Amino acid sequence: MISNPIIFTSLIFIPTITGFVGCIFPKVFYKIGFGILFFYSILSLVGYLNGFEYTYHLINKEGIPLSFDNYSLPLIFGSTVVIMITFILKSKNFSHYFYQICLVLFSALSISFISKDLVSLYIALELTGFCAFLLVADRNDSRALFNSFQYLIGGGLAMLIYLIGVIQAFTYTGTFILNDLINAPATSLCLISAGLLTKAGIFICGVWVPNIYSDSNTQSTAILSGCVTCAAVAPLSRMSVILAPIGNSLIIIGILSSIFGAIFALIENDDGRTLGWSSVSQLGIAMLSPTYGCLYAMQHGICKSVLFLTLNKNQTGTIIYSNNLNNLEINNQDIEELIRIFAFIIAGLSISGFPFLSGYITKLLVKSDLPNEALIIFNSSALLTSGVYVKLIISRLNNIKIKDLLRKVFNFLRLNLFNVLSSKNITLILVSFSVFGFSFIQSKYFSLEKIQMSFITLLLGFVFYLSFMGIKSNPSVSNVRKTIDIIGAPFVVAALLLANLTYLKIL
Amino acid sequence: MNISLDLSTNTILLIPCVILFIIGCFGLLNSKTIFNSLFSLDVIDTATISTFVIIAAFPGSQTPIIGFERYSSYADPYPQAIILTAIVIGFATQALLSAIALRLSRKFPLLRFKDLENDK
Repeated sequence: MISNPIIFTSLIFIPTITGFVGCIFPKVFYKIGFGILFFYSILSLVGYLNGFEYTYHLINKEGIPLSFDNYSLPLIFGSTVVIMITFILKSKNFSHYFYQICLVLFSALSISFISKDLVSLYIALELTGFCAFLLVADRNDSRALFNSFQYLIGGGLAMLIYLIGVIQAFTYTGTFILNDLINAPATSLCLISAGLLTKAGIFICGVWVPNIYSDSNTQSTAILSGCVTCAAVAPLSRMSVILAPIGNSLIIIGILSSIFGAIFALIENDDGRTLGWSSVSQLGIAMLSPTYGCLYAMQHGICKSVLFLTLNKNQTGTIIYSNNLNNLEINNQDIEELIRIFAFIIAGLSISGFPFLSGYITKLLVKSDLPNEALIIFNSSALLTSGVYVKLIISRLNNIKIKDLLRKVFNFLRLNLFNVLSSKNITLILVSFSVFGFSFIQSKYFSLEKIQMSFITLLLGFVFYLSFMGIKSNPSVSNVRKTIDIIGAPFVVAALLLANLTYLKIL
Repeated sequence: MNISLDLSTNTILLIPCVILFIIGCFGLLNSKTIFNSLFSLDVIDTATISTFVIIAAFPGSQTPIIGFERYSSYADPYPQAIILTAIVIGFATQALLSAIALRLSRKFPLLRFKDLENDK
């Protein structure tokens, strides 16, 4: 009874229905939608931990194959968690129809995670693109509108390239099923993966990522960075498991992307743009290993959305950043700001692979899956990443006097502990501790040697940052904002892949 | 090196689509205003859709009804049915892009990329 295809299919579409009905009754369905997301997160987490796998065909034996397995379940969990965190922390800043769009987006995302059919994937990715467009355009000033225009036109072109690849594969295979791509020619594989890479924002296809992240609302950015870029990770992982040539080329693309993104992140001035380039670099690492890529993308998505939500200083009414603390009294707002800083640091350290955090585990898992030739470049990209996060954490902790502040906070907490427990604070603390807690599920990865290595990587990253600190890009130089770069990137990547598949044959 | 082009009827049918696709890409990469790129995207959309339709018509161009003798070589209905979704999505994209162009034209009446990209 539980493995009835109808139940699973309706589970996918319930959030969309909730979203559309929520346009009529906004207040009631906000709570219902939140409850549904909570239910899904628990369901997917339990399913992943128990190794649940269920593949079925919609309607008939010849229908659309959908599968819940260890590619899709972590990503579903990650996107529910990201949307829930955003709902709790930013619900006061939501504009009209914001949470409804998020619920529709969640449905589209889960279809793109579970479907093994190329045309369903196309529709799901286009729907994801439309929702992301609406989220970016939510800010409603000319710059955000222009960025969303660039995103939509670039994404539309990428999906048309993808469709051309699909129809070429169809003439050879006769079906639209992902597993039948083995018989497809190299050109079609290149076109399909170029379209998917643009949606995931990897390598030079990801030029749109920092523009959009720096020029949209905080809540939109958190959702975009947490889930939307993960949409194409699951199909890419599935493809690289089945097709050895694509898997080998994706290792090259992933390595190039991780190095390229991290270097751009280091020389960027704006913190939002730095996080955007770092996202390009991290998803490049997720491309390296098809088996653990989805898990890595999930961990990166949650941490990155927490980073975006706690990035901006809440300067109105907080005295943390003032120079002279002695005469001032601490209140609830300051405690909230301190908790935000704490969550920021934990999430940043987790992405850079600090021991006893979940990023450490996912990094080791990806590392165990790599060929030996790629390991040295992987290590250097980890070094660059830790340099980036040391830079971000230092810029976040700028002009705070920790010693005085800690004494005051301790006094304040002793007097009135229970006033602090608002929903925002509890959420942030819970997220930070669950980032700790998930690392202990797999305790076999804690050996002294590995912990030492990651500590040393972090220290070297600090040294690297110190040596890099003087070099800063000239603020008068304009960033990459040209439309032609965003549009032309898929063609370049398709040509690169084709050259690799037919002539170069690296790896 | 002897390059022999296989010019069967099917390949010749596909050549106009490829030319249309190249024209659209050229227009998109060289457009100076938002409107040009919007139209170019539509051209590429049309090229993709006609590629689907022509490839579906390779086995024959008759209506896919089984049971009569005169319908012997019928077209493949599967890609044709699927491309309907792509047509609708193309229209949706055009509508959204036009809405954005309308909003942007209040501040930048000429809608040139040069002005929009340097907007601080």
